[in-house]
Amino acid sequence: MKGQGMSARKILEEWGAKKFQVINKRAISEITLGASILATGGGGDPEIGLLWTYKVLDEGKEILMVDPMEVPDEIQTASPACLGAALVLTEKPPGDGVLNLAIRRLERYLERPIQATIPIECGGVNSPVAYAAAGELGVPVIDVDGMNRAFPELQMTSWVTHGVHSSPTVSVDNRGNITVIDTGEDDVLAETLARRAAMAYGGISWIATYPLTGRQVKETSILYSQSIAWAVGHAVMRARQEHLDPIEELLKSLKKERDVEGFRVFRGKIVDINREFGSETSKGFTLGQVALEGIDEYKGQTASLDFQNEWLNLRVDGEVLCLPPDLIAILDSETGEPIRTDIMKYGYRGTIVLIPAHERMRTPKGIEMFGPRHFGYDLDYVPVERLNG
Amino acid sequence: MTGELRVGFDVGGTFTDGVLMRGREVLAKAKSLTTQDVTAGIVEALDAVLAESEANPAEISMVSLGTTHTTNALIERRNLNKVGIFRLGAPATTAIPPLTGWPEDLKQAISGTELVHVIRGGSEYDGRDIVPLDKQAIAKACREMKGKVDSVAITGVFSPITTDHEEQAAVLVREILGDDVHVTLSHRIATISLLERENSAILNASVITVMQRAVSSLKTAVRERGITAPLFIVQNDGSVMSADYAMDYPIFTVASGPAASVRGSVYLSGIEDGVVVDIGGTSTDVAYIVKGFPRESSITVTIGGVKTNIRCPDLLSIALGGGTIVKHEGEEVSALGPESVGYNLVRLGKSFGGPLLTVHDTAVALGKLDRKLEVFKTDFVTHPEKVNALPKRLIANAWSAVKVTIEEAIDKMKTTAEPVPAIFIGGGALVVPKEGISGVSEVLCPNHFEVGGAVGTTIAEIGAYAEGVVDLEKEDRDNAIARVTEQAKDNAKTAGAIRETVEVIDVEEIPFTYMPGKREKIRVRVKGQVLE
Repeated sequence: MKGQGMSARKILEEWGAKKFQVINKRAISEITLGASILATGGGGDPEIGLLWTYKVLDEGKEILMVDPMEVPDEIQTASPACLGAALVLTEKPPGDGVLNLAIRRLERYLERPIQATIPIECGGVNSPVAYAAAGELGVPVIDVDGMNRAFPELQMTSWVTHGVHSSPTVSVDNRGNITVIDTGEDDVLAETLARRAAMAYGGISWIATYPLTGRQVKETSILYSQSIAWAVGHAVMRARQEHLDPIEELLKSLKKERDVEGFRVFRGKIVDINREFGSETSKGFTLGQVALEGIDEYKGQTASLDFQNEWLNLRVDGEVLCLPPDLIAILDSETGEPIRTDIMKYGYRGTIVLIPAHERMRTPKGIEMFGPRHFGYDLDYVPVERLNG
Repeated sequence: MTGELRVGFDVGGTFTDGVLMRGREVLAKAKSLTTQDVTAGIVEALDAVLAESEANPAEISMVSLGTTHTTNALIERRNLNKVGIFRLGAPATTAIPPLTGWPEDLKQAISGTELVHVIRGGSEYDGRDIVPLDKQAIAKACREMKGKVDSVAITGVFSPITTDHEEQAAVLVREILGDDVHVTLSHRIATISLLERENSAILNASVITVMQRAVSSLKTAVRERGITAPLFIVQNDGSVMSADYAMDYPIFTVASGPAASVRGSVYLSGIEDGVVVDIGGTSTDVAYIVKGFPRESSITVTIGGVKTNIRCPDLLSIALGGGTIVKHEGEEVSALGPESVGYNLVRLGKSFGGPLLTVHDTAVALGKLDRKLEVFKTDFVTHPEKVNALPKRLIANAWSAVKVTIEEAIDKMKTTAEPVPAIFIGGGALVVPKEGISGVSEVLCPNHFEVGGAVGTTIAEIGAYAEGVVDLEKEDRDNAIARVTEQAKDNAKTAGAIRETVEVIDVEEIPFTYMPGKREKIRVRVKGQVLE
């Protein structure tokens, strides 16, 4: 196979790429923290992806992140990821070589070597996983993703809303079972099949998906999404060290990196969690509702959120303050650590922050595919900056 | 019950503190050196408070103990059990093997990776086997670890939902290794999240013997004194649990001492927001209090450098206490500890004619031990000439190293740049700097500060819980939770709490997704006050 024995540095030399960054442990921990914050309550346990990436770095493998503008048009990329219920992943970490297996099978199906990985989303798992896989494969990571947040379904990407597709996708499990999904332009069907495979495997699957060319990456991705996550993570870690307000630093970093305003709208403690377990077996998501009782200046108010892996919408005393695809983060007020849907517990205290989705996620096609109506709300999408302006 | 007598002990690495209380009143207090067998120290403190108060042992209605045994053992990597580690989860989970991310010295203290076995097995979320449990591999591993382990920790994928593989593995382990080898099953320790639960179970297994010794010593001591009152141990949330239960679950006491101290500090000082610095002979715990309660760790709790998912107050434990050895080259301090001379202070410390320089000796040399407390029976110094002979610069350097260490610990726990009040308690509070501490508005040493932890154990509340399996297709969720909550409150009352004071700590719902319908296990934890 042509793809074997590559090194990320050699590939970048072949491309003549100058703009790239070496990812060390500190860098990946900042990128992963930032990605978990942007993951909107989903994205899974960062610990697992991080420990995995650390292990790859400890084995002496180099991980490089390259500027998308340095990527040649014709090369083949793919996105390695974990698909399934986040709760299952925290309990069932990956076995050795699962993503390698998925990528090699995809190469065989495409009859082309994969020369770079593209993270599918911002998430505690799928962000570092794309780096771990790149390190293991000896290819670079491109500074893009398909969402700049996390979303529950495979087709909810800027890639699909800009006309490229997830097929063919290879889905594998720890026992070496392999499913190849090739539904052409039907990305919703691909999601359905991938989800069924994950459930049949036992709740999660490891996939190699979105085999995009270099040119498609540049035209349809959320560009510099990794740098945005990195800046957010860096700001929060710095705030912790210097005893600054992590929420304030996070909002400043977004202003600087993306030129958008985020909103701090609520502070409270979790008083009720209703997980819909029945649905988890049939649909493969972590689903339910949660209620927070306000504290400090929000005393007397109640916030309620629905979740499907990620937070979907926020209402405070019945008034809608945020709708998908805009981002909701519940963060520990003191550390800025995100409180995720899969680990929240009765009594946790947090601050709710709202962040406008990236423009490439807000196109009419995007609102149709992952706006409020898609998630079953009889509401038109209103941007978060207008709901809170 | 206000008039009834309670005795509380706080067994630290160096001193054992005891108090005898009636209502809010401290009738008697005592401090004894913690002895190697623990018992003697408790007996001494017990006898001292009984003698001082002239109380009748038969009238004592509650004996409670806060202990830093498990924490100290983990921090110092001392007296830990050799732990056989089983993970039931291959071929999944192998990319991140057990003990990943553990500090190397702690790994070695429990026998390193040699006794780690990742076995084919574990369950899926829906109760199916990932693969059938490889019993042969378990049996083979057990035969290999025979004679090399004191304790075994078993963690199966999805065991909080399906306990079968852990139970089956436990039967095999007991069969081959015998009943002397204690078995910890992860599903009894913590909930979903494999790596953190596994870490919690391994840590629990590593401190079994430490806790067994502590409890049996206490039992013997009080029975011999004619006290028939029930025994309680303070657990991580500041409530108490029965001592027998604690022997199998020592990890639930990992924050026992600090939780008792925080409650004691708030009770004694009246300060409800600030930092509590509890300085013992071996270690110091720093907690941040908000509205009278310790701030709880939000997501993971780090114990001895290891991430766990045990619910705990957010604490920073550092190896600094009165008995901490000051290592030096000439007049320069090279390190503070982490070793402490502990109860051997009176033999090994310079102040007592011994060979080692400790934090205590530094304070003696600077004349900081000006307050002679009745509660300390020993003199602070028996060989002043040895202390006076110490180089002045070395003493100044050591004093400043202690100050910096405390300042750094406080700084790590503070979440605001503004200065906050600090409550210094514990016997070690006498021998550390309290002036000019940066980041702090004032340092308070309230009355009875030297026995704050012991006072805290006696105001502890009863913790209790109840579990029920419900089918949400047949019963409304709110009704089901209310029903289990009532049961938990009844249990708390049975355990000695006043029914009206019982409140819910948390409600946990664990799905039984592999069963027809919407079944789940509901677990409600409550706590209530023992006294009006």
